Amino acid sequence: MVSTSLLEAAELISRERVAPGFWCLGFRSPEIASRARPAHYVAIDLPGAFAVRLPLGIWTARDDTFTLLFREWGERTTRLACIADHEPLSIIGPLGNEFSIPESGQRAVIVAGGIGVVPFWLLVRELLAAKVRTTVVLGARSKHMLVGVDELRALGTEVKICTDDGSAGTRATALDLARDLPLPDIYYGCGPPPLLRALSEHANASGIACQISMEETFGCSMGTCWGCVVPIRRGSEQSIGYPRAGNEKREYDFARVCADGTVFWSSDILWNR
Amino acid sequence: MIDATHADALDLSIELGSLRLRNPIIAASGCYNRGAEFGQIMDVSAYGAVTLKSVTREPRLGNEMPRLLSTPGGLLNAIGLQGPGIDHFLEHDAPKLTTVPTAVIASVAGFSVDEFADVASRMDGLPGIVAIELDVSCPNVDAEGACFAENPASTAAVVAAVKARVTKVPVIAKLTPNVSDIKPVARAAEAAGADALSLINSLRGMSIDVERARPWLANRSGGLTGPAIRPVGVYHVWEAATAVKIPIIGMGGIETGRDAIEYLMAGATAISIGTANFRDPLAPLHVGETIAAELRKRSLRRVAALTGMANPGFVGARP
Repeated sequence: MVSTSLLEAAELISRERVAPGFWCLGFRSPEIASRARPAHYVAIDLPGAFAVRLPLGIWTARDDTFTLLFREWGERTTRLACIADHEPLSIIGPLGNEFSIPESGQRAVIVAGGIGVVPFWLLVRELLAAKVRTTVVLGARSKHMLVGVDELRALGTEVKICTDDGSAGTRATALDLARDLPLPDIYYGCGPPPLLRALSEHANASGIACQISMEETFGCSMGTCWGCVVPIRRGSEQSIGYPRAGNEKREYDFARVCADGTVFWSSDILWNR
Repeated sequence: MIDATHADALDLSIELGSLRLRNPIIAASGCYNRGAEFGQIMDVSAYGAVTLKSVTREPRLGNEMPRLLSTPGGLLNAIGLQGPGIDHFLEHDAPKLTTVPTAVIASVAGFSVDEFADVASRMDGLPGIVAIELDVSCPNVDAEGACFAENPASTAAVVAAVKARVTKVPVIAKLTPNVSDIKPVARAAEAAGADALSLINSLRGMSIDVERARPWLANRSGGLTGPAIRPVGVYHVWEAATAVKIPIIGMGGIETGRDAIEYLMAGATAISIGTANFRDPLAPLHVGETIAAELRKRSLRRVAALTGMANPGFVGARP
């Protein structure tokens, strides 16, 4: 039989509406909570006529519980937000690769856009434990979409906030604020693709290491279906290294966001192709 | 796992030509590969066989993104047969097949009759491979003209060319539902020597992103799978089962044992589970238990007795 099961029946233990359309749900699962690493996610089977699971990043994990912080966006997240205490919920996880942690004494800047804050509670906890000097820059469209700030500050890290409309913090983008900081040893990013692309270009141009956690529509969440790929540089660590046909004009490879990622080095991702 | 102790004296084994499987539950191509990923969650030997992702002659990078869209009760996909090609498959993947804890069915896709015959012949007799399925119906590939399985003559040409060169294992033709009548295609495949049929493949579909006024998928159209297509699959199996004597592997939206029994009663000898693995990796276990319960309820000993039970026009061999 299979020794380490990733398949868990999780029990809902808390539900909080943290902002309009944003929810934080707590689950009891010692197996998932104890194994959760920065950027890990879970795949949830929801009651209803859904052909595939809902993948969501793990927000916090303590003792035998973990939380999911998410925005209602589509039918599956709306269904999850109103899940009843007694409804069975099968969860596969934790899944995906994880962020790299630099040496003690180095400096890290985390750039998050909106709900892209999710992978960073676990990362900040890990960075602080490794004595990495960490600054989080968190941006959102408006203050009603700025979530997770208090939890990150409670870990003891500096959090700079900004909004597109100036309703909270500086009126700026997260990357604007990050650029004003001294260059760190490593950047981490998660959020909307335009932000990730701009962060990657800034980091690559500055010669600074940068890891970003990507999002795509997942099918299997296990790496079998090849539905959630991202174009990456041939020969990079996460490249599959297949041979290619003589008539193939594309110079890149595809990597699976669900199984090879969700974390990729910005220098490996091909935004311009 | 489904075995004699669990299912009392029930006989869940089935025959597809010369091939005998210990149970009728197969993992569908493109959804499972050899089970390495889902093997982290469950015991792959719950399956009577697993079907590999289709292999082409040349390596293929596949389609651009987006490749997937979740639809009501379904999943629209256009992966584009991403894969390493037959040379890489033979060198790197084939040696691992003997460690799979159940039977392995290879899958071949191609863009010409010659490509099908060439790739299939190079898989014939590989240790661990018990049958070869021909993906004559993949709707995602932008080849000249329509796909082979939309036409009886081109389906027969592929099957005949493969049968001329594959002698060691049964050949299964996987047909498309994108036809108004499946029967002429099924008859053509049988007459050309196919040992079994798989049906259905995904149903061609499209969804438009209204805000951006363009199709969601980079490939524009895709193949629809999942429970939404199940009635289409059951209907095509029913129709084909009135036209051919060779066994049929029924598939398309099977999630539960009842879904599987629908296909068996329509005329399928075995069934495949594809997209449902993504939602419930334990689906083959649940399906096996439900089939066993149905047999007991009906005081039947062999799963083969369910084949065609609901279909008065069934012409296949009854055990």
